[in-house]
Amino acid sequence: MQTFRFLLSRLAKGILVVLAIVVFDFVLIHLAPGDPAAVMAGESGATDEAFVQQLRTKFGLDQPILTQLGLYLWGVVRLDLGFSYRQQMPVIDLVMDRLPATLLLTGAAFLFSLTVGVAAGAWAAAHKGKPLDRLITTIALVFYATPLFWMALMAVLVFSVWLGWLPAFGLREVGGEANFWERVLDVARHLVLPAVTLGLFFTAVYVRMTRASMIEVGRQDFVKTLRAKGLSERVIQRRHVLRNAVLPVVTLAGVQAGQMVGGAVMTETVFAWPGIGRLMYEALLQRDYNLLLGVFVVCAAMVVVFNILTDLVYRLVDPRIEVSS
Amino acid sequence: MTGQLRRLLVPSISAFLALAALPGAALAQQPKEGGRANVVIQPEPPGLMLGILQNAPTQMVSGNIYEGLLRYDEKLNPKGQLATSWTISEDGKTYTFKLQKGVKWHDGKPFTAADVVFTADVFLRKTNPRTRASLAYVDTIIAPDDETVVFQLKQPFGPFIRMFEVGTMPIVPKHIYEGTDFLTNPANNTPIGTGPFKFAEWSKGAFIKLVKNPDYYEKGKPHLDEIYWHVIPDAAARSVAFETGKVDILPGGSVENFDVPRLAKTKNACITDKGWEFLAPQSWLWFNHRGGLTADVRFRKAVSYAIDRDFAREALWNGLGSVSTGPFAQSTAFRDEKALVKYPYDPAKAKALLKEMGYKGETVRFTPMPYGETWLRWAEAIKQNLEDVGIKVDMVNTDVAGWNKKLGDWDFDISITFLYQYGDPALGVSRAYVSSNIAHGSPFNNVGGYSNPEVDKLFADGATAFPDSARQTIYSAVQKKLSEDAVYAWLIDLKFPTITHCNVKNLITTGIGVNDGFKDAWIE
Amino acid sequence: MKGFWSRFCRHKAAVVGLIVVALVLIIALIAPLLYPVSPWKMVQRPFLPPFANPNFPLGTDTLGRNVASGLAYGARVSLLIGTVSTLVALAVGVPIGALAGYFGGWVDDLLMRFTEFFQTVPSFALAIVLVAIFQPSLVSIIIAIAIVGWPPVARLVRGEVMAQRKREYVEAAILAGQSDLTIITRQILPNVVSPIVVLASLMVASAILLESSLSFLGLGDPSVMSWGYMVGAARTVVRQAWWLSVLPGVAILISVLALNLVGEGLAEALDPRSARDAA
Repeated sequence: MQTFRFLLSRLAKGILVVLAIVVFDFVLIHLAPGDPAAVMAGESGATDEAFVQQLRTKFGLDQPILTQLGLYLWGVVRLDLGFSYRQQMPVIDLVMDRLPATLLLTGAAFLFSLTVGVAAGAWAAAHKGKPLDRLITTIALVFYATPLFWMALMAVLVFSVWLGWLPAFGLREVGGEANFWERVLDVARHLVLPAVTLGLFFTAVYVRMTRASMIEVGRQDFVKTLRAKGLSERVIQRRHVLRNAVLPVVTLAGVQAGQMVGGAVMTETVFAWPGIGRLMYEALLQRDYNLLLGVFVVCAAMVVVFNILTDLVYRLVDPRIEVSS
Repeated sequence: MTGQLRRLLVPSISAFLALAALPGAALAQQPKEGGRANVVIQPEPPGLMLGILQNAPTQMVSGNIYEGLLRYDEKLNPKGQLATSWTISEDGKTYTFKLQKGVKWHDGKPFTAADVVFTADVFLRKTNPRTRASLAYVDTIIAPDDETVVFQLKQPFGPFIRMFEVGTMPIVPKHIYEGTDFLTNPANNTPIGTGPFKFAEWSKGAFIKLVKNPDYYEKGKPHLDEIYWHVIPDAAARSVAFETGKVDILPGGSVENFDVPRLAKTKNACITDKGWEFLAPQSWLWFNHRGGLTADVRFRKAVSYAIDRDFAREALWNGLGSVSTGPFAQSTAFRDEKALVKYPYDPAKAKALLKEMGYKGETVRFTPMPYGETWLRWAEAIKQNLEDVGIKVDMVNTDVAGWNKKLGDWDFDISITFLYQYGDPALGVSRAYVSSNIAHGSPFNNVGGYSNPEVDKLFADGATAFPDSARQTIYSAVQKKLSEDAVYAWLIDLKFPTITHCNVKNLITTGIGVNDGFKDAWIE
Repeated sequence: MKGFWSRFCRHKAAVVGLIVVALVLIIALIAPLLYPVSPWKMVQRPFLPPFANPNFPLGTDTLGRNVASGLAYGARVSLLIGTVSTLVALAVGVPIGALAGYFGGWVDDLLMRFTEFFQTVPSFALAIVLVAIFQPSLVSIIIAIAIVGWPPVARLVRGEVMAQRKREYVEAAILAGQSDLTIITRQILPNVVSPIVVLASLMVASAILLESSLSFLGLGDPSVMSWGYMVGAARTVVRQAWWLSVLPGVAILISVLALNLVGEGLAEALDPRSARDAA
């Protein structure tokens, strides 16, 4: 019951945040120079004033900005994200068309970075101060400090061009006959490079956090008690320290998972992954206001949902924590 | 850049072009049927309805779906397509076309002269500003029978015969569009044409699939079973896609110029610079004639002298294309080399002119065109050229939408651009120089605001003069005047090389290039 | 202070980091002395490989510009972007966090909702939108990086201030009748400076990375030579001129690494508990 009430209040707050974001982004986007009509007219290479005006009227861009905002908000409330000027399709269709690819990519990257990050971090903590620890922390730092797009380009060069092991771009092989499992395998092969490059940065973050957190927990009194009881160091580290240390890492990861959804622009661009990060970037360049706002609304909603989920998980894992506070 | 330095430049790839002459050799062979062409398309087009959307990627894909009445060879001579024959009356005012028999739309309905009349008289007049401007010379369009169309002009209009290519006048189906709102017709998402390939599938952000039109009226064509257009947003990834064999065809401009020589050297790569004769893209620097330094002809001349075009051609354009010496590109009709006042690279002259006008180091704003790395590097090189003769330059960076806006609002001093010339000065050149084309809101009209009644009159007369010898006299005078005024700093007549795997045959057969459809192409 | 130094110096990696940061700083400062010619000047043939010509030990780029000169000037811009954007982020984040943590209640609620709001928009996406909207320039890039950078500062400061708020010395100051402003600035903030310093050193590093990512997408400032610009511009020629992306990439890597090491060293030196451990 308490959980239910908590959920309700968080949801209500979340919806308010999303609406505020709509207003904020709406204003921001309309501050940008140029509008979709001008961009489309420009692309056609030859235009006249009449053509641009015709487009503006059609898109409703000739109305006062407050009216446009009002109409858009009223649409969002009814879960209608409007129409993409450029692609002539409902925004919700375009976004939903691209969302699965992004969820797949970020989901895989998230799982990869969390498992590898926590494992390596714990390993490093267990050997604190020894060469192994130094090695792991240094590698993590290097991944943390390398520009993501650079790593992505290098990965493509090595694994696709030189070794030829993995496909360099796209989500799947087009054309040809394939059964269900062949298709799954095909997508999985395409997923490896983008997911790993996207995940490496976060892996580095989790390695450092887990390590720090393990060392921190290791200093606490209850660990000393366990040692005094004569439990083996291995059991203490695995069963007790790791379990406690991993909690803050998971919390942070939950928050970041939401951010990842909209933050994969770079990876999606290098690997030609048909996700919403790229959709957002293209919509921005084309001043496709409705589409851009639509992507933002969906991303914000994802962040809100992920945050609530994280809190719930936290609550389940550690009943001592009072979620409502 | 000194002459000595220039000799040190990377060897140009023109050598490769000579070695890999694509079309000639292939003609002799027997085409192989079937197979799939994988092509890069960049950026992803907003839609495929060629009658409404005019941007480059749409033209490239949809040239397979739609067709025009005519095509044009490398010398821009007309060839038949949906029209089998055509005649122009003695006075140059009546154009009569005989149409192909037995042509069907992709939905099975028959194609007739009524479709042509509808397209030219109703549809394109509403949706295509460029075609609309030329159709202003047309008095009536009628179809005496199902296989004949007659265009009656108000006065002679020399370039009219160059208007029937698929990008300018794609024939659209009357039975689908008549009486509807063209821009919102749901059929725009599933384009119906008469072309050799039909639209099959579009996975947004990934690929567009076209399949062979089995009922195509030219027997035995097309040879290919399907075409996949791959959307790959990163230029480096597009190169990799070609190298790993995922795509076979890189249309002009789809990889960065720096990568062209390297790709040309890879195994099984063939390269050609053909197929740009009709569009004839020419690049230049816009000057804002409305005030400031750029309103002074001495300053414009100084800039024209200060720019090292040969360096840019070698370092940025792989030695392809040719240095522009005037407002008419090399392959555009009525170009007259002798009429031109030329501005070769001469920093000393530039400095002298600046001194003469009393230039005191005022800053000029330079707005580069955000069309990819080559254009940005070029802007940087030009900025450096100008600073070398003592001109202070402030770079103003924007994205494409911002650039459109800045130029459309005339908010710049100098900018860089390129425009297609469509074979004829009346179609593609005059638009950047006549005062009737000064209007807010577009980056592709007379953005610089050059206004000269003499030039206006010459261009107006040139469009309607008859026959061609009369046009030549007028256009020679125009070129003399424009180059004397150093209206803009003409840079390079561009060529965007098409790179393919060598087993792709007969891809480019006309002066319109990749945009003209793949009906003759086959894969060995 | 002396204790702090000796604790910091015990952390060898941190000392190395500090030396590297100092070197980069020096190169940035004396760049015009090292290379009097503008880094944009085309001085040799394009794509001259490193070590081929002793005058240009690191080679030239796509237009024949000196890479070594570019790296030196790039250090200026990258450090400038890193430090200024961090300072701006601190200037926004610290007051908001301090007010929220000190007053609690509805002030806290309001300010934290505001902060959360900024964290709900994916930060990289927000940075892209901001730079595109205000058009790429040094100022707009710095502002965009600062805007996505301040919320973590605010949250950190809030937490620290909250903890300090309950301490006796604060109660005493309140009883002594000091104004809230005085208490926050004179009493509390000096006590929470150390975690802020640590965070700041990391923020400088991530700002340099963020700028390079923006440049990669074509949203850099075209009139200043930065490392991000160099990598971004080199990405299309990575196959024929490895040094053009590797060298500035390594410059970014080393600087970010060094800043992180300094950050860690600071964290341990400023953390009294680790001092006890070490003792």
